[in-house]
Order: sequence, then structure tokens, then C-alpha cells
Amino acid sequence: MTDVRTRGARPSTGLGPKTGIGLRAQHHLRVLSESPSVAWFEAHTENYFADGGAHIEALAQIRAIYPLSLHGVGLSLGSADPLNREHLRRVRRAVNRFEPALVSEHLSWSSFGRRFANDLLPLPYTDEALRHVSTRIAQVQDFLGRRILIENVSSYLQFQCSRMPEWEFIAGVAAESGCAILLDLNNIYVSARNHGYEPQRFLDAIDPRAVQEIHLAGHSAVQIDGQELLIDTHGAPVCNAVWNLYCTALRRFRDVPTLIEWDTDIPALDVLIAEAAKADALRADAHALAA
Amino acid sequence: MPSLRELQSGFMHALLEGEPDRAAPFIAPQGIAVAHRLGVYASNARSHFIESVISSYPAIRRLVGDDYFRQCARGFHTRHPSRSGDLQPAGTRFPQYLSELHGNDPYRYLGDVARLEWLIQETLLAADHAPLDLAKLARVAQVDYDELRFYMHPSARLFASEFPCWAIWDANAGSDAQPEPIDLRAGPDRLLLVRNTGQLRFHRLSLGEQAFLHSVQAGESFATAVERGAAHCGFDAATALQRFVVNGAIVGCR
Repeated sequence: MTDVRTRGARPSTGLGPKTGIGLRAQHHLRVLSESPSVAWFEAHTENYFADGGAHIEALAQIRAIYPLSLHGVGLSLGSADPLNREHLRRVRRAVNRFEPALVSEHLSWSSFGRRFANDLLPLPYTDEALRHVSTRIAQVQDFLGRRILIENVSSYLQFQCSRMPEWEFIAGVAAESGCAILLDLNNIYVSARNHGYEPQRFLDAIDPRAVQEIHLAGHSAVQIDGQELLIDTHGAPVCNAVWNLYCTALRRFRDVPTLIEWDTDIPALDVLIAEAAKADALRADAHALAA
Repeated sequence: MPSLRELQSGFMHALLEGEPDRAAPFIAPQGIAVAHRLGVYASNARSHFIESVISSYPAIRRLVGDDYFRQCARGFHTRHPSRSGDLQPAGTRFPQYLSELHGNDPYRYLGDVARLEWLIQETLLAADHAPLDLAKLARVAQVDYDELRFYMHPSARLFASEFPCWAIWDANAGSDAQPEPIDLRAGPDRLLLVRNTGQLRFHRLSLGEQAFLHSVQAGESFATAVERGAAHCGFDAATALQRFVVNGAIVGCR
């Protein structure tokens, strides 16, 4: 196992308010050879589950230069299945190896009966699901010995049995489990459009003290049965409506680290850096207006 | 109201077995048909799985073409859905699936080439390990050698096939050039794969060396490993040990 802790002093464990970008393997070489001006990186935890090898070594070297966040996609926090202890042990190993500033997961589920969809499936917003997922998050936090962040996901359907809106559900989970919130503004926008509500209602319901990170990403639109459905692809630039939502969110959530996510059809690093610069400029404008 | 368990059971059936009726009663009607909404998730699940299998088998994909590869990967997903929240292991049983698919036809080498490609993945992702401590080995008295149990680098993998799999893999890995025809009778392959100073290395093995390393890998004593190697013509224990220490396959002893 690569012992990254022997590499000497690392950059501050805090991310600061500046905008980071999602780290993908195809950018490892450029990041390591040129040390581009990026405030911090976020890596998908599962991409660094291996026992060793080039990717583990690359992330260790990147972590020696940049602050880091680890973002999990596969823990399936909302599953009625037992918590996958092996998966959790690997998350803990990655956390111990790379000492990230933040550790996050999704408010969703992806497995049942030991079969995995490997997608971020929506939960019903019921008291049972709220208690269940809160208990699981508390177990994960105990196991990791730290607070985690949970992210709201995009959804393409709603359950008949839901008894509260999504914003009340995530706020309730944060309050009951003690976790923080990773607010994905693109996911809020996608779900709001798909289900016909104002995204502002979501923002207004979230306690600013609970939010520790914001995600920005792109989506696509498809026509099904003559109606438009927005799909969270993470494969396009952030759209104007989500940038506008970001400006609104900045007024409420202030200096929260922001991340540009781009996971499919991944562009050159410069494109991601330009998106991050745009977010930083909007944040500076918002602060100037507030001053 | 369904319990969380009932809802998730039905939803997973709808996604993986293509049975939208199992989840439809739980979903609010909203214009777009429920089956089509579920189809978005089913398509995502299949797509994530297939992309993961593609990333594990680039040479096989090039060898058979993208269309046929995706067709195989779809069938494989139906038969062997993901068992992990981490998609990296998704393609573990793909070589076996291809072998079953082409067990008795002219493409029966595909399963073996896929098996080699999977072992390459394992070699690349295995833990690191320092080389053998030669000073420690030098302190072992000659009379105690027989009882030594050598062990291999975590990345070391042994591969054997009646087909020239390495040549087929090499011709389809990392190059867009049209590969030269390969004579399928140019096997067999007996290979050691190991990561040494970060680089993947392939080493061809004699029958004796293969038997020796299988024994070492099984945790047997040096005397037993030598005995297994010596059952084949031309095996020399000292030469074999030196070779596998130098190439980084043997990294320790107890």
C-alpha cells in the first residue's frame, strides 16, 4: 500500500471557498507535469479502491500538491440491504490514504438482494426511509470517524408513497444523522423541471449551516411521450439556468467550496478550469454586491 | 404504503429483469409513462455496466468490433449483473461468459484472450511490494533452503492457454494499425505477468518454470516447488530462482 503520509507536509486540509474540479484519470499526467492552477480536486472514491498501481500513485502525488475531496458513488446508503462493510472498509482505506478535506456520498440507493444497479436511484420520501438512511449515515460516520456530506440526486420519477418534498427529506436526514449537505444545484434544477416545482423552494428549505459544498454540472434533455425529461449526464457545460441558480445560492450559502463536475465526454482540462474560473468570478461578484 | 424493502425489491426487478409492472404501482403518474421513466434508470444501469466492461477489455473490443462487443456485454449483464457498488469487478466473469458463448466454434480462443486481459487488469491494480531482501536470503543457511516458502509479488499472475493469446492481445492493444494475421496454432502460451518498478512485464515460461511458480503460489516449500519443476525436462532450480527474483516475481520468503 502506498503510504502517502510519508511524503511530507501536504497542503491545508481545508478546501477554501474557491472552485475545484472533478479529477479524471485522463488528466492525471497533465496535472502532475504542469501543476495547473486549480484550487482543489474531487475524486470518485471508487476509482481509487485498488490495492496499488499507477492510479493510486498518481492520486497520492496529486494530493501532495492539492487539497482533495473524496466523493463516493457506490455505498448505496439508502438500500434496505445490510450496509456493505467491504465497500465501507475500502472507503475508509481511501480516506486514510489520501486524507481528504471532505468525504461525501449520495442520498440514494443502488442495490437490493445483493444485486447492484450502479446508478443513483431515488428514495421514497417517507418517515421509514428518513429513519433508515439517517441510521446508516450515522453508522458510516462512526466507522470513518468523521462527518460526511450527502448529496441530493437528480430524479426522473416520484413515488406515490412519498409524504414530504425532497428538501424536507434531506434537511431531516441531515438533522437526524448529523451529516452535512452537498448541494448539487444541477440536480435540484433537473428534478425541479422534471417534477414541476421552483428550485428556489429547495434552496429556501436548507439550513445554510448544513451546506459544506456545492456541485455544478451539465445535463441533457430527451423527449419521451412528447414531453421533455432532463437527464443528469455530467457531460455538458453548466447551463445558464443553473448558473443563475448558483448566483441565488451564493447569497444564501456564502463561502461554500464549489465543484465543477464533468464525468462523461470529458473535455480538455482547460475547459474545466474555465468553468471553475466562471464560478469564481460569479462568487466574487456576489460578494461585491453584498458588501 | 409499501415498505422500503418492498419498493426496492420491485424497483430492482423492473430495472434488471425488464419487468416494469413490478415497480409501476409505486410510481406517481406524471405524464410520461411509468415504464418509460423506469426505462431511463434501466438504460443507465446497463450503460454504466457495459462501459465498465469496455474499459476492462479494450483489446477484446477491438478484436471483435464495438457492435458485437456491446451485444456480448448486454448478454453478460443479464446473466451476471453487478454484485458490487464498485464497477471495477463487473467484468470478472466475462472471460468465462465468452468461453461458454464460443465453446465449440472457431472463436473459442476469445475467452482465453479475455482471461489474459483480465489478469493484466489485476496485475495493474494489485498492491505494491518491495523487492526481495537479498541480504535476508543470504543469511539463510544452505540446509534450511528446502523448508523456505517463497512468496510472489501481489501483482504476479500465471497464465496458460493452448492459443497464442499474448500475440493476439498485443496486436489489439494500444495501436490503431491493422494487425498482421496470427496463426492460432502458434501457441501454447505459458506466461508470468508481474508489475516491476511500476511497469507491466510479461515473461514466457517453460513447463518446469510454470510448475515451480504454481507451487510457490500455492505456498508450498522450496523443496516441493523444485520437485514440481524438475518433473519437466530442462528445469534448473538455481536458474529459475535467480530469474524470478531478478524479474521481481518472487519478493519474499518465510
